[in-house]
Amino acid sequence: MPPKDAHDERLLIAAAQKDPARFAELYEEHFERVYAFVARRLRHRDDAEDVTSQVFRDALANIGKFEWRGAPFASWLYRIASNAIADRWQHAAKEQGAALADDPPDDSAHANPEEIERRASLFRLVATLPGDQRRVIEMRFAEGKSINEIARELGRTDGAVKQLQFRAIQNLRASIEKKPRERKSEKPVSKNG
Amino acid sequence: MANNTQSEQLDKVVSALLGPPNAPVSRAAAARPFDMSFAPVIEVIRDLKDLPRPDFKARLKADLQRRAKMATAAAKPVPETRTSAIPYLAVRNAAAAIDFYKRAFGATEVMRLVQPDGRVGHAEIEIGGAKIYLADEFPEIDFRSPESLGGSPVRIHLNVPDVDESAGRALAAGAAVVRPVADQFYGDRSGQFRDPFGYIWVLSTHKEDMSPEEMQRRAAQESAASSAVSFIREGFHTVTPYLIIPHAAEWIDFVKQAFGAEEHFRAKRPGAEDIIMHAEVKIGDSMIELADANPQFPATPCTLLLRVGDPDAAYARAVGAGATVFDPVTDHDYGSRGGTVVDASGNRWHIFSPTPGNQIFGAFGTITPHLYARQPVDLIHFLEAAFGGEEVYRAEMPGGGIPHAQVRIGDSLVALAGGRGPYTPMPSTLHLYVRDTDALYERALAAGATSIQPPADQPYGDRSAGVTDPFGNRWFIATHVKDVAF
Repeated sequence: MPPKDAHDERLLIAAAQKDPARFAELYEEHFERVYAFVARRLRHRDDAEDVTSQVFRDALANIGKFEWRGAPFASWLYRIASNAIADRWQHAAKEQGAALADDPPDDSAHANPEEIERRASLFRLVATLPGDQRRVIEMRFAEGKSINEIARELGRTDGAVKQLQFRAIQNLRASIEKKPRERKSEKPVSKNG
Repeated sequence: MANNTQSEQLDKVVSALLGPPNAPVSRAAAARPFDMSFAPVIEVIRDLKDLPRPDFKARLKADLQRRAKMATAAAKPVPETRTSAIPYLAVRNAAAAIDFYKRAFGATEVMRLVQPDGRVGHAEIEIGGAKIYLADEFPEIDFRSPESLGGSPVRIHLNVPDVDESAGRALAAGAAVVRPVADQFYGDRSGQFRDPFGYIWVLSTHKEDMSPEEMQRRAAQESAASSAVSFIREGFHTVTPYLIIPHAAEWIDFVKQAFGAEEHFRAKRPGAEDIIMHAEVKIGDSMIELADANPQFPATPCTLLLRVGDPDAAYARAVGAGATVFDPVTDHDYGSRGGTVVDASGNRWHIFSPTPGNQIFGAFGTITPHLYARQPVDLIHFLEAAFGGEEVYRAEMPGGGIPHAQVRIGDSLVALAGGRGPYTPMPSTLHLYVRDTDALYERALAAGATSIQPPADQPYGDRSAGVTDPFGNRWFIATHVKDVAF
């Protein structure tokens, strides 16, 4: 999904402030971005899901208090996320003592907005891959399964799964590379890598 | 169609990058088995490592939609409840209780049956559509009131449209704060109040609907936030009277018998079992600390205001337990009924109950320390300057005398008056829990106090210091630092 311009976003926010059910549209617009932002800073997928959930719940609960001051809605979400992550580290440090406190997230290294946008686009592109390729990428990366496990689950050979993986990644790379130039026209990636 | 070698090679890179997070995979090493045209792909693979699980986005969306729906259907302040369970309260003086519940909670009386001996055998009231039965206590059939049993294990939860307003009304009618009104993690705003008959009422207004899972999550959050030790020791308030008195052990027996005190702690001097170095007793919601007087710390008994439901009965029990009559129980035109006794260790007890509707004494807990000074205004100024006290009430006589004033320090009230007639000033010792002992110690000295001991860490988990104020009262200033098992 291309980033909406400021006017569209403002209308979406106003709609959600009037009717919380309309928050779903803001969620669709920003889910990948927030998840990418959070996942970069938390090592475990469970933690990333917890914090992402909390960010959107807080955003929904406080959408009425959001005031448009020109900054994108995403930066408000990032601020909620940063606070939630900082809280989490503080609690973890308190509960588990110095072991964790020694190893705080290195925020400066991850604070690159272009990188967040690139990853968010990539996550969206995965959803547009042909079915088999998408399943392989999801199982391999999001579910942490081995080629062999995926092969058994899909009833394919290891070699076929590796081929699907190869084509999926090539497709994603190709789409990512043309993305900056073709922001406005988003097309599903072609079936033939 | 990709050839097999390429897809094999790519999978090696994927496996390497998906490996243990700490295993360093340099771009060069990862790229070694195949030509460099794979290099841009590595970035995609690295980014894919954080790919969200496929169903997560949809699950969270469903959760948010459910929440949005609940937010639209705004939380009802008084949730509808349907119940056939009715609390049946045993009280001492049911007629007075009915009267109190009318004033405090807006109850309406539905019916009342009176026995030939005058006792209320059964009564029904309604509060906000909920029925409550009550009657006088009948010890002969084991129907006993909280005052006889020393409290009630059952709290009555009362849903009200505006808890702050209801709490104000209950306090004005003479209820005492057990827990002040505050927002609760489970979506209610509530507070707890003890009525003069010994029952605790949870006044509550519902603010936010949420699922049990969300309550659980917020409870965990709250307990994590409060896991840091409070600077006030558990069970204590900001101000606690510290009685340094002769015959401390006998005194504990006396307060148990007279006022139903609970002994919480007792440390005896090693080798001298009859000498108490430190003890703690609780009466109602208030702690009292005490120790046997010794040459270093000569006796400083205290005047204590003891709030009870039935001052006549408590006064009689105190006298029965050995206290000396000082002032019999009478109605005082300043808004209470009470009398004064002196115990065998020299402490003066003013045993009272606020007159229904009285606002001056409504905020008192069970025990309030009372100080006297020849120049009470100077004492008020000292409490303000030294401890950040806040004068909340002052009665002034036409001639300028001050028969009663109240200063709030932290969560506690200290009562004070000009010493005159039989009420000679009586230097007392008090224990004060504060956030920063060192700062308050300096502040107290700057306000005119003299040092007993500078701040020091104590083995029992407090950091404490001591000062004597210009009126002869001793203050032990303490910050609870850690919990120590005794």
